[in-house]
Amino acid sequence: MFNISFASRTSAISAMLVICAALSACAASPQAGDAVPSSASPANEAPEPGSTVRLLTHDSFVLSEQTIADFKAKTGLDLQVVTAGDAGSMVAGAILAAGQPTADVLFGVDNTLAARAIDAATFEPYRPAGLTDLNPALLPGDGVLTPIDYGDVCVNVDDGWFTKAGIPAPSTLADLTDPIYRDLLVVQDPATSSPGLAFLLATISRYPDSWTDYWSALLNNGVKVAGSWSDAYLGDFTAGGGGGDRPLVVSYATSPPAEIVYAEDPKPTKPSTSVMTDGCYRQVEYAGVLAGAANPAGARAVIDWLISPEVQQDIPLNMFVFPARTGTALPQVFTDFAAAVDKPLQLPAADVAQQLPEWLDSWGTVMGR
Amino acid sequence: MGDGDGPLNEPRWLSWAWTIPAAFLLAFLAVPAAMVVRHALDPAALDSLGSLTTWRIAGLAAAQAAISTVLALAVGIPLANVVSRYRYRGRALAQALLTVPFVLPTVVVALALKQLLGGGSGFVLVVLAHAFVNLAVVVRIVGSQWVQLDGRAEVVARTLGASSWTAFRTVTVPMLRPAIASSAAVVFTFCFTSLGIVLLLGDASTRTLEGQVLRRTSVLLDFPGAAALAIVQLVIVAVVLVLGARAGRAAQQPMHARGLRPLPSRMLARATVRATALVAVLLVLAPLAALVVASVRSSNGWTASWWTMLGSIDAGTTRVGSPLEALRTSASFALITAVIASIIGGCAAIAVLGHRIGRVTAVLAIAPLGISAATIGLGTLLAYGRPPVDLRGSGLLVPMAHALVAVPLVVAVAAPALRSADPRLTQVAATLGARPTRAFATAYGPILAVVMVAAAGLAAAVSLGEFGAASFLAREGSPTVPVQIVRLLGRPGEQSLGSASALAVVLTIATLVLVLAVDALGRRAQGIPSWRSAS
Repeated sequence: MFNISFASRTSAISAMLVICAALSACAASPQAGDAVPSSASPANEAPEPGSTVRLLTHDSFVLSEQTIADFKAKTGLDLQVVTAGDAGSMVAGAILAAGQPTADVLFGVDNTLAARAIDAATFEPYRPAGLTDLNPALLPGDGVLTPIDYGDVCVNVDDGWFTKAGIPAPSTLADLTDPIYRDLLVVQDPATSSPGLAFLLATISRYPDSWTDYWSALLNNGVKVAGSWSDAYLGDFTAGGGGGDRPLVVSYATSPPAEIVYAEDPKPTKPSTSVMTDGCYRQVEYAGVLAGAANPAGARAVIDWLISPEVQQDIPLNMFVFPARTGTALPQVFTDFAAAVDKPLQLPAADVAQQLPEWLDSWGTVMGR
Repeated sequence: MGDGDGPLNEPRWLSWAWTIPAAFLLAFLAVPAAMVVRHALDPAALDSLGSLTTWRIAGLAAAQAAISTVLALAVGIPLANVVSRYRYRGRALAQALLTVPFVLPTVVVALALKQLLGGGSGFVLVVLAHAFVNLAVVVRIVGSQWVQLDGRAEVVARTLGASSWTAFRTVTVPMLRPAIASSAAVVFTFCFTSLGIVLLLGDASTRTLEGQVLRRTSVLLDFPGAAALAIVQLVIVAVVLVLGARAGRAAQQPMHARGLRPLPSRMLARATVRATALVAVLLVLAPLAALVVASVRSSNGWTASWWTMLGSIDAGTTRVGSPLEALRTSASFALITAVIASIIGGCAAIAVLGHRIGRVTAVLAIAPLGISAATIGLGTLLAYGRPPVDLRGSGLLVPMAHALVAVPLVVAVAAPALRSADPRLTQVAATLGARPTRAFATAYGPILAVVMVAAAGLAAAVSLGEFGAASFLAREGSPTVPVQIVRLLGRPGEQSLGSASALAVVLTIATLVLVLAVDALGRRAQGIPSWRSAS
């Protein structure tokens, strides 16, 4: 009896050891940076028809099914769109897998994360022929990433609330510290929310040496910090539908047209919200070929397609951002209600990459979070 | 049961039981975690281990989790009594309803609570939300043991003159101790590692290490720092779980599977049970009612728009998946998860009866609760999301990630109950000539059937509501319902809140149906009649 159970125990352990060895061999064999085929194929090589190309992107990626079908018909490539959480998580995954990617091409890395991703050798260089058709102000000039779209993070205003209260809506960042706007603004925590981070960067860009003083003033003026965009806009904003009590919220320059598109039928003729066009931070979203991609030619074809007029026209109403291609016709609801921001604020990507941890720490100290 | 070898005639396979959970943990926990640590390893990361902020956050999170746990136990134990033990009309529905908060995406719970309580955020709201969400854990774990308690001991105590409170305190509580310890450890872990609720309802006083891990991973891209914090969190959770397992070890009295009992005969006691059940139902229904209202309201008054558009929302775009499709995705993940988690968690719980390695494995099987979702999600992607091992096409990655969260709950439900089963039955059966496996089945079969059904229900619920690790896993095809709800909540316009609320109501109903079905199946398996056939 004892012998038998001893024997079975030993064989169980040896079975485990075999599984162990097999698993660790599988999991550990390739390492990032071991063998990055720096340029697996020449940049002008045509993709192999019928091959599969994988596009890694964030949860907010949306295009018309027709646009995707046209790509498949035109190139003969089988496009698989794989989503991996929000932009930050998706880029984090791509950086950890640098050189041994889980896809061929990535869309959705923005100008706050781009420098870090490039430093980690996540991408391989590619300059599409259509680069000259894009808004030159958006070009990163690194020869690696291609701008696809942009959006501005701005304070949104519940117009009806201000009309009823009989006070003028604020028009500049500085106004927000004015006591007449006490307890009216809700922002997002920059440590957990992408628009929240953009708004923090806007204030740093505007007040490079005194931004912590600006935030102290906001705090003294009763600013509320929410955990996420949904929480702030849908929960705390007076015009967000959640019965909130704050008529000023950090959101996007394209939120008013979205209010129309996602309203109940019959649609209202104009949105109940507007945009404060001062103090907006510009977010640019890029695409890039992932280093070590199995199908680099297919990846380049996807980037060419993303900046083609067809996709660029499809972008605004699906993702509520502006197309990067100059001269792309915008839908009526955009031309009517999306705010055109003349002087968006921006910070150099390298500065953001280097100083972000310190900025977030300082912000946390000022805000007691 | 002794601490040495098992009963003399323990079946041979018992000493093998631990290999199944061990292999699963190795493949889906150890390997992914090792991948992340390997990519993130950096001596500089050790700096954050010594940082005062890290330990301050750990302390804050521990205080918050302790208070949340006490509240969940204080409310959950009386509820476990009334929804798990007595037989009355609507009992099954009340029990299923209590599972709902655990399943709803945290963003939905947060919005519903905010609407109900009129906004606000901070320590109190986080504690309330945590207690609310984790009631199901206490009710299920404590309830599944309470239903097996022999009530006669308490009756004897009462007969000898003890007040009902004294009888409860001195007789019932000690017998429930394994289950209470087990559920307290699990709830504490959930609250200590909480992410969604802390993010949505918290402030500076409710930060968690998990939140810092996510922030370092996806905002700061500081992987070494994230890995260091994840390790601190894991160590603290491991200590708590070991303490919980130790506190739960010694059961006072062997138990046998028992059925539901009729309501007490005295009017007052009968009314108390009914009233408590009603309070439980109202507690869950109030936030749910807020959701239902939000799904039929617009600025134009009452509306059916959000419901009628559910089938066609975002039609023609790559934002795939009608809610129906999402529901199908969620339901199939839930079933696969329930099966995987029951088998693996069940084996881990059975292994407890075997030798030392088995008991160690069972404690290890609870460890996934302490590993941050970001670590598991990214690690799984690194290990199995690309050649040479690319499991993404197999459709197994998401259920495996869900199972990883569900297995600890299965173990937490099953292990205390199995430990307190009467091993003498095995010997009696063996004496009567039964072979070891048959004898084992006689002793543990009935209890195993009860607890495994409770556990499978919890596992399915975890899968239906999971929005952590799985959201990191790149995948194609229709999203799960929680993922779709969160996506809808990510854009402006009345539609987003309205249709997300409608979808949350759909998720609630799906949960109720699923949990009722699992419970009914369980009653049939145990031969415990439902109230219908009994009355």
